Amino acid sequence: MDKSTIVCRCEEINIDEIESAINLGARTFNDIKRLTRCGMGPCQAKCCMNLVRQIISDKTGQPLHEIRPPRMRVPLGVTRMGALAGSQASSVTSVFGESTEEGETVHEEKL
Amino acid sequence: MKKSYDVIVVGSGVVGSSITYHLSEERNKEILSIDKDFPLSGTSGSTQAWVWVHNKTPAWYGELNMYSAELYSFLERKIGDVEYKRTGGIAPFFSEADREKALRLAEKQAEVGIKVEVLSRDEVLEKEPSLSRSIAGATYSKIDGNVNPFRLIELYIRAARKNGAKFSFYNPVMDITKENGLFKVTTQDGDYFSNQLVLAGGPWSKSLGKLLGIDVPIKQVRGQIVVTEPLRPFLSHTIGGVRQADNGEVLIGYSKEEVGYDLRSTLDIVQDTARMAIDFVPALEKVNVVRCFSGIRVMPEDGFPILGGIPGIEKGYIAAMHSGITLSPLVGTLMTELLSGGETSIDLERYSLNRFDSLQSIG
Amino acid sequence: MNTDLLIVGGGPAGLNAAYKAASNGLKTTVIDRWFTLGGQLNQQTQFYNNLPQHFENQRGYQLANYLIDRLRKLDVKILENHKMIGAYNNGSIGVTDGKSTFQVQAANVIMTTGAMEEPDIFPGWTLPGVMTAGAAQILINRERVLPGKRALILGSNNFALEVARQLNDCGVAVKGIVESRNELLSQNDELLCEVDIPVLLDSAIERAIGKGEVEKVYVNTDGIESVYDVDLICIAKGMTPIFEPFEIMSCDLTYQEKLGGWLPKYDSRFETTSPSVYIAGNAAGITNIGGILLTGEIAAASILEKSNAANSLKIEEEKKYLWGELYRIESAENPSALDARLDVIRNFHHETGIQLPVYLDSVFGGLTNG
Repeated sequence: MDKSTIVCRCEEINIDEIESAINLGARTFNDIKRLTRCGMGPCQAKCCMNLVRQIISDKTGQPLHEIRPPRMRVPLGVTRMGALAGSQASSVTSVFGESTEEGETVHEEKL
Repeated sequence: MKKSYDVIVVGSGVVGSSITYHLSEERNKEILSIDKDFPLSGTSGSTQAWVWVHNKTPAWYGELNMYSAELYSFLERKIGDVEYKRTGGIAPFFSEADREKALRLAEKQAEVGIKVEVLSRDEVLEKEPSLSRSIAGATYSKIDGNVNPFRLIELYIRAARKNGAKFSFYNPVMDITKENGLFKVTTQDGDYFSNQLVLAGGPWSKSLGKLLGIDVPIKQVRGQIVVTEPLRPFLSHTIGGVRQADNGEVLIGYSKEEVGYDLRSTLDIVQDTARMAIDFVPALEKVNVVRCFSGIRVMPEDGFPILGGIPGIEKGYIAAMHSGITLSPLVGTLMTELLSGGETSIDLERYSLNRFDSLQSIG
Repeated sequence: MNTDLLIVGGGPAGLNAAYKAASNGLKTTVIDRWFTLGGQLNQQTQFYNNLPQHFENQRGYQLANYLIDRLRKLDVKILENHKMIGAYNNGSIGVTDGKSTFQVQAANVIMTTGAMEEPDIFPGWTLPGVMTAGAAQILINRERVLPGKRALILGSNNFALEVARQLNDCGVAVKGIVESRNELLSQNDELLCEVDIPVLLDSAIERAIGKGEVEKVYVNTDGIESVYDVDLICIAKGMTPIFEPFEIMSCDLTYQEKLGGWLPKYDSRFETTSPSVYIAGNAAGITNIGGILLTGEIAAASILEKSNAANSLKIEEEKKYLWGELYRIESAENPSALDARLDVIRNFHHETGIQLPVYLDSVFGGLTNG
């Protein structure tokens, strides 16, 4: 098939991009997802899940039953921030100055 | 695959792949980096990826971060576009009482050359009009920014491979011993030997250390991050807890939980993060959340990097730290200097494993 | 919010489970993400002639109405437009109505999340005019809108033939059923009796082209290319269980090709590896309407049994009957899926070391010996 055929509609990722992630060494859906963003869009891999698993299987020879689906993420389905927040107050009153004198910084990058 | 190398780097996350890349630049060593999974599958792939300096304290630690941030533009010229952006960093505070602390921070950081400004509410809103009017002020520095962690690690690896370094993925290390002065690294795919060994296992550093009979005093800390649908660009700075990525998604996260290696997202934290998002940027109330993710961060017990030789194990080295994205260019450089037997540009004594009382060496 | 039993999904499996539980006194709550209950049954106009014996044979949408009406007479909390979005640390389920999010603490949960249609790709598949067979069916039977004038169907399972026939009945010119194998997947080819729909075996869609929508489709049959002037392609490549909500509940998954791919593991009570989280319907493996109804009822009966909410001898008798019906219907209509389902259950019991109930000997024995 034409390698420019779209696999992940949400993020417009094509066969070629998925195959080059596999060429880089990726063997799982999760790893391909991080390299290409395939499956990271609004549908959260609902459409491309088995398409990508099939491509991995075709390219690497792994049987389909060994290729797991990507990790599922909360929320199940797109949800408005306001609906998530509800009416309760945030527990974060200030992220500043929690412990700047204690060595452990407050605003570290999230790594 | 070849069995003997000059250096084996265990871990191909942002720290391990940076060390591998920087070592490979010299082109005088055969290097193998081994990862139990695939790069980005652990901590390095589940981060907000700030390159963040301005309120890391004490000042000497801020300074370390500053030097590393300064290396990014140089790094990009060598390995390619990692989408590093020096957006400037804003850390808002909501109460006037925090202004005093902010001023003290600015003073301390100035001593090591980190320029931090303390902004009034109006000054913050002028820089970032979408922030809440209920904030009291913010600390600000031009040096902070962010990077695309996926591009960063992919390009570290591509560049290292180009220089001849080898990588072995999905290959857990099961044992490490020393035989005839060489490290014998037993992996799922067989044994590999090296003269020098670097442990760069991130959150798995503790279990890797055990293989060598040492205690690596780190904790695993879960951070949960909420991601919105792509929005038109409206946040231009990296804000404490919130940033907008290149594709328009806004990433929000602040949480820290010690729950072991558990990558689940829980609604308790997700909902609290949503509330925080709205407190910071009220307009986010009406946007859609597409997904959340969790990352397990590395947190050395005292918060500071563990860098340098492993006491009692000749030619064994370790690099384990929080803030690996910010620190990776500098850590790669310093570890290369160290492994090449030269003086390191920054004295690493302060970062040695030696500083922890709990250290037990089998020698 | 507290409830004895939370049912996630108000399709046939969920509705039947809810009836069973509520009519035996369990405080039951049903949530469904859509504004109407009944799930996919609402657009099924075909006549079901092999329902479990305690149901009258009828058309799909009629069955939906029957299940809904029957339930509404009971004291059941029904929350339409409510979706499960995640779980809390304490194991309770997070539900949103689009305005806020609240916790539901349930002693037991049956998740009947159903299945989704598998996509298939070819150059041009993202053009408007390409849709799943199920989407086309919703358009004609619920929205009363014709999805196109001339159509190709990609795939030849029962559902593909059913939708081809329904489209044909609505006046859509179905130009062909495209199947890559050398025979129809459906054994039920009387579905194509009395209608003039060409079957294209050994064939694949090479590409679809058009300005802003499908206009031409190139089909390769054994190396020979033909062009079809159609504006609609319906993809019917089968279905796969929706397991994501189970993953959120920390249920272990297993792979069974004959049940549609990855799905949660479950035991003979339809309980997953997460205690008190049950499964039923197509989520527990792609089956027919009889299997969907019966698995829901067995799950509910098992919860009644566990909660001592009904006479245990009576429940055992009922479960025996339900399993007998499940065996009768699935072995007639989809024996390979039944085989795979029994495998899932057998493996679960093997892993946990818990004996299969004696009354299931005939069901499991019949298959292993036969």
